[in-house]
Amino acid sequence: MKVTYNWLKDFVDIEESPEKLAQRLTNAGFEVEEMIYQNQHLHHVKVGKIEKIEKHPDADKLQICQVSLGGEHVQIITAATNIFEGAVVPVSLPGADLANGVKIQKSKLRGVESDGMFCSGEELGIDDSYIEGASVNGILILPKEFKIGEDIDVVLGLNDVIFDINITPNRPDCMSVIGIAREVCAIYGKPFKQPNFKYITVGDRASDHIAVERKSKSCSRYMAAVVKNVKIKKSPEWLRRRLFAVGIKSINNVVDLTNYVLVEMGQPLHAFDKNMIEGSTIIVRDAYDGEKISVLNHNTYTLSPSDLVIADKQKAMVIAGVIGGTNSCITDQTSSVVIEAAVFDLKSIRLTSRKIGVRTDSSARYEKGVYFGSAEQGMKRMLSLMCELEVGDIMGGIVDKFDYNPLEKVVTCSCKEIDEILGVKIAQNDIQRILNGLGIDCKIEGGMITAKIPAYREDLENAYDLAEEVIRIYGYDVYDNLSTSLFEKSKVTEGGLDDKTALERRIKNALMYNGFFEALNYSLCPPDICEKLNIQDNRRFMVKIANPIGEDISCLRTTMAHSMLSSLAYNMSVGNKQVNLFESGRTYAPKSLPLAELPSETNWVSMGSTAMDFAEFKACVLSAIEETGLRYHLVRSQEGFLHPGVSADVVDESGNVYASFGQIHPLVAKNYELPKTTMYGEINLDKLIPYKDKKFVVKPVSKFPIVERDLAVVVKEEISNADLMAAIKSACGKIFYDVKLFDIYRSQALGAGLKSMAYNIKLADENKTLTDEEVTEVIGKVLKALKFRYGASLR
Amino acid sequence: MQEQLKQLKEQAMAEISKVDEKASLNEFRVKYLGKQGLLTQILRGMRDVPAEQRPVVGALVNEVRALIEEQLSAKEADFEKREMESELAKNYIDITEPAQGHERGALHPLSKVFELLIDSCVNMGFKVVEGPEVELDYYNFEALNIPKNHPSRDMQDTFFITDNILLRSQTSSVQARTMEVMKPPFKIISPGRVYRNDSDATHSPVFHQMEGLVIDENISMADLKAMLIVLMRKTFGEQTQIRFRPSFFPFTEPSVEVDVTCPSCHGEGCRLCKGTGFMELLGAGIVNPKVLEANGIDSKKYRGFAFGFGVDRVAMVKNGIADIRSMFKNDIRFLKQMK
Repeated sequence: MKVTYNWLKDFVDIEESPEKLAQRLTNAGFEVEEMIYQNQHLHHVKVGKIEKIEKHPDADKLQICQVSLGGEHVQIITAATNIFEGAVVPVSLPGADLANGVKIQKSKLRGVESDGMFCSGEELGIDDSYIEGASVNGILILPKEFKIGEDIDVVLGLNDVIFDINITPNRPDCMSVIGIAREVCAIYGKPFKQPNFKYITVGDRASDHIAVERKSKSCSRYMAAVVKNVKIKKSPEWLRRRLFAVGIKSINNVVDLTNYVLVEMGQPLHAFDKNMIEGSTIIVRDAYDGEKISVLNHNTYTLSPSDLVIADKQKAMVIAGVIGGTNSCITDQTSSVVIEAAVFDLKSIRLTSRKIGVRTDSSARYEKGVYFGSAEQGMKRMLSLMCELEVGDIMGGIVDKFDYNPLEKVVTCSCKEIDEILGVKIAQNDIQRILNGLGIDCKIEGGMITAKIPAYREDLENAYDLAEEVIRIYGYDVYDNLSTSLFEKSKVTEGGLDDKTALERRIKNALMYNGFFEALNYSLCPPDICEKLNIQDNRRFMVKIANPIGEDISCLRTTMAHSMLSSLAYNMSVGNKQVNLFESGRTYAPKSLPLAELPSETNWVSMGSTAMDFAEFKACVLSAIEETGLRYHLVRSQEGFLHPGVSADVVDESGNVYASFGQIHPLVAKNYELPKTTMYGEINLDKLIPYKDKKFVVKPVSKFPIVERDLAVVVKEEISNADLMAAIKSACGKIFYDVKLFDIYRSQALGAGLKSMAYNIKLADENKTLTDEEVTEVIGKVLKALKFRYGASLR
Repeated sequence: MQEQLKQLKEQAMAEISKVDEKASLNEFRVKYLGKQGLLTQILRGMRDVPAEQRPVVGALVNEVRALIEEQLSAKEADFEKREMESELAKNYIDITEPAQGHERGALHPLSKVFELLIDSCVNMGFKVVEGPEVELDYYNFEALNIPKNHPSRDMQDTFFITDNILLRSQTSSVQARTMEVMKPPFKIISPGRVYRNDSDATHSPVFHQMEGLVIDENISMADLKAMLIVLMRKTFGEQTQIRFRPSFFPFTEPSVEVDVTCPSCHGEGCRLCKGTGFMELLGAGIVNPKVLEANGIDSKKYRGFAFGFGVDRVAMVKNGIADIRSMFKNDIRFLKQMK
């Protein structure tokens, strides 16, 4: 919302500078996001008079001008063609920094010195609506009366400061100059100077000329006034300049006034050419399905019954509150005008504006909410200005159709409640002073506040709202040096991590200590990841975003693999060839598509490596799994994106999978341009939560020594280490303590398809020292068992 | 004989001091203490010593023997020590060779900051509660006093899945879910991932927030200030100050923006904070009683405060990271700097 310093001064006496005012407004909740000084690009630009023009000796297109700046005299070389001797023009001198970014310095043009440059309107940041001649393609020729040598911003009256203020959605009343002015009044404790609402009517009553039928619930109030014998012409300078300051183009006196009132009062208005209204009847109704309307932005829109239109007996004339149609707009031929001031439902306007993609100053205000009384204020202000500018003859009375007249709102609460909410004590007279300053009629008796809320403050409903009004004007700096201790008046509560976060941290740390770096990826992905990952199952059904930024982030991932492999591939592409990464994140599995209920979200830790082999990677996965108390074993993995021969699932005794890992499938490696030996793994964090605690039962340790024996057996390749170890354990019986594979050997001498597996077996008895005979006997049993079950032979 | 012993003693002492290798030490032992050794030979003359002098001479003999033995073992120890020293001098390794096993990795800057923030809050009595990222419109908006088609929805660009299901645009969605199931008094924080339809150097479509909610009987804005100053000091250092500025959120009333003194200049004004000395960091306020009532909490009895902020930004400020997109690139050269 743009308001200007001078415009605010119409309604409140401001003594402080624009900079201080901006600070005070920000501190009161109206953040001034930008201050624009109208003259910020006009320094070093003066009014000059061209006294003599000569041709440049070395350039056909250049002219040498002798220019008077009053006392001073300068020489300007120019290529402009619309200048003449005696012309009064803006002259920019060295140091100038013009609106189009040009910086002026002394220079030589084809050997002749130039002290500066003549300026066009564009270079000064102005156009024809500000001063005649500013839009021509050439130098701005100024009126002869302008004082030679004067600064350009002074003669052009470009001395205002514009505040661009961020208005929060709860304060639609402040999307206007008077709204901000009321806040300024409260901040400085100054009285509000009411705008002029007076006007003189002539002739008949408006209702003799126009009828209004309000046929939609989306319009709670519709006012119409009639002005006859209208003279459409250019607006006076002051009006054009005010609109220019807030960035609105001047069109003609009637349209300019509707815009002026919109900015000043916050009430959108519409002006119809009365002669174009068929049957002299305005009908406010929902659009017909498929109804078409051509509007002032040169587009035609097709409407539906959720859109509101202002129509006559034949046609829709306006998309209500959004944009006017071409069939009834003000033209130079207009002689009779109907002014509309209405209140429309904010949701309806918002919906229509979004749907057709048209946002105007009018819709921007309507969709934030215009209060019931605003229409009347806006209408009266409009008529008063039309009267002042002698636009035409204003008919008596205003046609006013509405369905309710809101009741006056009164909020009561105690001063104590305000203090308790704020946690600081505010004196009663401060509360009263601040609320009254905001236009809230407030009485305090026996500590009880009775506040009559003005109609434009629809946001104020209870003690909390009043507390905020009090503190934002009183000043939040009261908290700066407050030394309340932590939860002074509250009950002690038990804090703690949730189970998932606690386990996640342990697993992340385990991986971090094993050399993995934590990655962070979007949980959004392109729709084709399952093809790339060779995934055939339900994970191919992904949740899609209805309004994505781009296709590459249009779906919610159903697997962690794509993110991890992409991160590894990115690193490969920039030369980081040996990388270990992990990521903790979620996948999102829809229960049905399109979504009828929320998808199930699963927490995972995924891992990837272009540096480790299977054995190393396995150690890291298992060290993470062993953060939990899960009793697991490994089986071959069926996962589509893993190499079927070099991958494993971590399963419990019922076969539930908790993690999968291994070398990626060669197809997947190709799709992601990764080395074939790339490792990927994923751990289902949620499934591990029930096992988050390790349970220990400590058995007493035998005081008798351990006996070790090494044993190497030759077996077929397909016999697994796990099978052999299990057989050794069971053959040793109750004196088994531990077994470890310490060597695998393959050679031609052993024979093809055979391997030698060397184990270190530890035996111990709880009650005695084992004798050599006992040990030999057990090792014999082991050999027999391995031979019987796996065809093993002693090497 | 006494004279002989004295001479022997001096001779032995002189000789042993010259011994400089282990082998000669044994020769010395044999020469003096051996069966045919010099001291033994003198002892053989004992029988010629008058009986009354024997104790004196005997004592002298023992003294000489003890002295020689003492010198011998001292010398021996000395040789052993020197031997070990020369051994140690030869046996050394290059301690700058790479270590075996895995060099440790590092957590992401975001995780580190999350841990710090979460632990600080847990220590103040907050429980960690997480919620779904794909969320019902109801929890993300309606239960927080943001009705459909209300202007306050414009404050965020939301990703929608269907009319009623969206990607949560704020972790505030967990507020309503918590109020449904927990009975006051309680303190919760909800860290997590949020989504907005926005992407540039300072906005990522996927980012992270932490929401805090406290509901009890006597909660005030002063409690909010007291709690946030502790949290911000844990995060940015003990000299950190915070200030409130008025703002608007549909689910808090009064609502404030919380500025934190710039961790680089501590309020003086620098390049990082664009000369203001402060950084806009949190949104906070007293829970709007309408939100309490909508979620089944008696607003006559209970009051609460809530706060929320972008955690990626905290991580960026703390670590001097300029572009939020680099947080999601996973370039190992970036991640290694967190070791």
